[in-house]
Amino acid sequence: MELHGINFLLVLGLPLIGSPLVALAGRRLGRRSGWLALAFPLISTAALLALAGGIGLPTRVVIEWPWVPSLGLGLSFLIDGLSIFFGLVVSVMGSLIVFYAIFYLDKDEEHQGRFYSYLVLFMGAMLGTVFSNHLVLIFIFWELTGIASFLLIGFWHGEADSRVGARQALLVTGSTGLAMFVGLVILHQIFGSASVSELLSGDLSSGKHSVLFTVAMLLVLVGAFGKSAQFPLHFWLPNAMAAPTPVSAYLHSATMVKLGVFLVARLYPVFVDHSWWAPLLGLIAFTTMALGAVLALLSHDLKAILAFSTVSQLGYLIGYYGLGPPDGVEHDYLHILNHVFYKGCLFMVVGIVAHAAGIRDIRQLGGLFPRLPLLGVTTLVAAATMAGIPGTTGFLSKEMMLKEIFEAMRARDELGLYATACVVLTSVVKVAFSVRLFANIFLGKKPEQVKQDFHAPSPWMQLPPVLLAACALLFGLFPGLLDAPFGALAVEGLNRPQHLALWHGFTKELLVSSLVLALGFGLYWLGEKTNWRWHHIPRWLRFDVAFEAGIEVFSKFTKVVTRVLRSDQPLDYLPIIVTFFVLLVGGRLLWQGSGLWGSLALDWGTVQPLRTLAAGLIALAVVGVLFLRRWTAQLISLSVAGFLTCFYFVLYRAPDLALTQILVETVTLIMVLLLLARFPRSAQVGEERRKPVRFRRVFHMLLALSVGGVATVLTLMVTANPHPSPIGRGFLEHTVELAKGSNAVNTILVDFRGFDTLGEITVLVIATLGCLGLLMRYKRTPEEYQQGPHGPPGSGAGEEVRE
Amino acid sequence: MQLETALLIGVMFTVATYLVLQRSFVKILFGFLILTNAANFVVLAMSGRPDGKVAPVVLDPQSPMVDPLPQALILTAIVIGFGVAAYLVFLLYRLFLDQKTTNAAELYDEKESG
Repeated sequence: MELHGINFLLVLGLPLIGSPLVALAGRRLGRRSGWLALAFPLISTAALLALAGGIGLPTRVVIEWPWVPSLGLGLSFLIDGLSIFFGLVVSVMGSLIVFYAIFYLDKDEEHQGRFYSYLVLFMGAMLGTVFSNHLVLIFIFWELTGIASFLLIGFWHGEADSRVGARQALLVTGSTGLAMFVGLVILHQIFGSASVSELLSGDLSSGKHSVLFTVAMLLVLVGAFGKSAQFPLHFWLPNAMAAPTPVSAYLHSATMVKLGVFLVARLYPVFVDHSWWAPLLGLIAFTTMALGAVLALLSHDLKAILAFSTVSQLGYLIGYYGLGPPDGVEHDYLHILNHVFYKGCLFMVVGIVAHAAGIRDIRQLGGLFPRLPLLGVTTLVAAATMAGIPGTTGFLSKEMMLKEIFEAMRARDELGLYATACVVLTSVVKVAFSVRLFANIFLGKKPEQVKQDFHAPSPWMQLPPVLLAACALLFGLFPGLLDAPFGALAVEGLNRPQHLALWHGFTKELLVSSLVLALGFGLYWLGEKTNWRWHHIPRWLRFDVAFEAGIEVFSKFTKVVTRVLRSDQPLDYLPIIVTFFVLLVGGRLLWQGSGLWGSLALDWGTVQPLRTLAAGLIALAVVGVLFLRRWTAQLISLSVAGFLTCFYFVLYRAPDLALTQILVETVTLIMVLLLLARFPRSAQVGEERRKPVRFRRVFHMLLALSVGGVATVLTLMVTANPHPSPIGRGFLEHTVELAKGSNAVNTILVDFRGFDTLGEITVLVIATLGCLGLLMRYKRTPEEYQQGPHGPPGSGAGEEVRE
Repeated sequence: MQLETALLIGVMFTVATYLVLQRSFVKILFGFLILTNAANFVVLAMSGRPDGKVAPVVLDPQSPMVDPLPQALILTAIVIGFGVAAYLVFLLYRLFLDQKTTNAAELYDEKESG
């Protein structure tokens, strides 16, 4: 366990810690920071291999460190076949990509340290997501990958495309990630455990029939669909191609977009027997698959072709889990690995071609084979893999795909038929654009512009794609090599690994496969013949344009709302607040207080005369403030009310309150009198002239009356239902025994709740300091000086003169 | 249930709200002072009808006493209310010195034109 823990820290902790270090070192190292960054994925890969060997697969190991134990939140990580498989894909691809990026980025590219720092951060976040054993942890790392992706897509933030692409990616994956979070929380609520390993091994049958379970599944799938660019959220992925090519190859084909696939695989045993699982995944994913392939054929930009074909393949991977039988699927690792091989390779090739020729439009390229023979062969292998030509992993993948889809067609009626149609259509289209990708870049005549701009790429840069293509070829020719690792990585309830072989005999699949190849070549020939004139993506399929328009409308809408609700006069906000108080509290009281009026009638008999008299006098004095004209008269009236309040306190058996109130009332009276004395007469006269408009006055009056009404009803309701055992009784019982004082109010203040009183004193100190500050920071004007030392500013001493 | 107190609270809240909604600083200050007392009365009413009870001073444990907790809370509230009122007074004074007006509306009018 101890050794596993250290190993695992190397896998996950090192990249997370290393990311800021790379950024810091990047200032010094500049272009060479890539070599520093390369260390992290290499170490992760090595540690991961050691870990995989150490735990003795196919066991399941949980490594846990406490984090927020009071919330049941731990740094808990699940190490099993699935997470190790994805972890290896991430770290090995990470090594290749960083190596590739070192040669891809221009020498004079700025902020290289930052770029590698983001890459390493992303890798750490990816590893965190796939290894997380806690649902909350999955979400945290999941969103971290989204943020890293945002930073990387927007790395060339000087260009508008990058900014738009980054924003789209962040909005789509971020918001769907939130939906997923809600789903995960619901899962936690239903099954009482947030641990993935417990969800996978525990008995879940009790909670599976609730509606909430369906809701949780839908929300989790929204998250997976968003991240893996499923229809209708697929549009962000092609726009994310504004990123530097290493990023596209790494995040947007090999790893991050597979997180949705990963999540579906991770929770496959939990959801698979839900009756909506297969239809939902099947419909959406296979639609995505067919649509992505068609859109790839309709595109001309090299990266866009690859992006749409990625969308298509992701659709297949998710749909594959959707149609899988309840006891597990057979060849998911093969399909994923195959995609990583050829798509990662093709992205890097495209990056090199764009780098060397300066062009990314496939219509303007051609005849590069003599110049780039190695790359041409690599591309040939990768494109053959994508098309599924025998001898590559693509062929294996396609054979298995067809075999399984035929089985599904038998098992699932209409859905299976739909899936089969999508798969066959996609395969044909895929062959066509694979051929196009190779033939139109490397064969044919070389256009003039390519001749002028061409410069040879570094041979080192070609190493990673060559390696990937070699893998595709090696495992394609000797599929038996994959049996052992896939067998070891199998997870119970998810995988049922089967033996892979190159030759299955003359089967139905082989026949269909050959037919697909022929049709695909035919489609390519048709395209060439018509010069691809019919090629453009129709407007109604441009979801990204609609999305951007939606964002525009949204920002306009918020502007309108702000303009309506905003006022230049801060005073306008108070009536709004008071109105809301009346509506909310008053509305609630009306809703509930219907029983109040009955009990009210009984109360008239118990009205006590002395209290009523005092209350009447206070009310009279208070209302007097409204009707008296001069400030001083109003103040006196207010003071009368204050002193009568003391009497009211006495009637309520509160001697301490009465004493305090007398003191405070006296000081307040003096203080406000002093203030009013500083104001010149003209100020008050001016106030009287500036009467507000009648409408406003009536509105304020109504508002004030309703606040008063609400306060009365509230008081009546609160006092009508006294608590059966108020805590004040406890203070009364213990005041002599514990606090050695008979006056319970005093002992509460200085003894039982002494700290509260300390806080109260602090408030007074702060108020005093505030007052001092207000007095001290004032600078007199020369005019005020001339009025003599005894004429403080605003005293009105000079007022007569001015008048 | 204490009808007279509840009605008094209603009157005080009405007057206080109306005053606070005015544009004159002095009126707002008066409204605030009334509001403080009105809020204290709400808490006071929670201690229940005082008839037939004595003050919460334990001399004879047998006699019924009023609840001391609301009183302790009000005591704190009075003092804090006073602190805030004092701050408000000085704030108004300072505002008058700087802006030469006692009217909130005028304050913002000037800001906009200047």
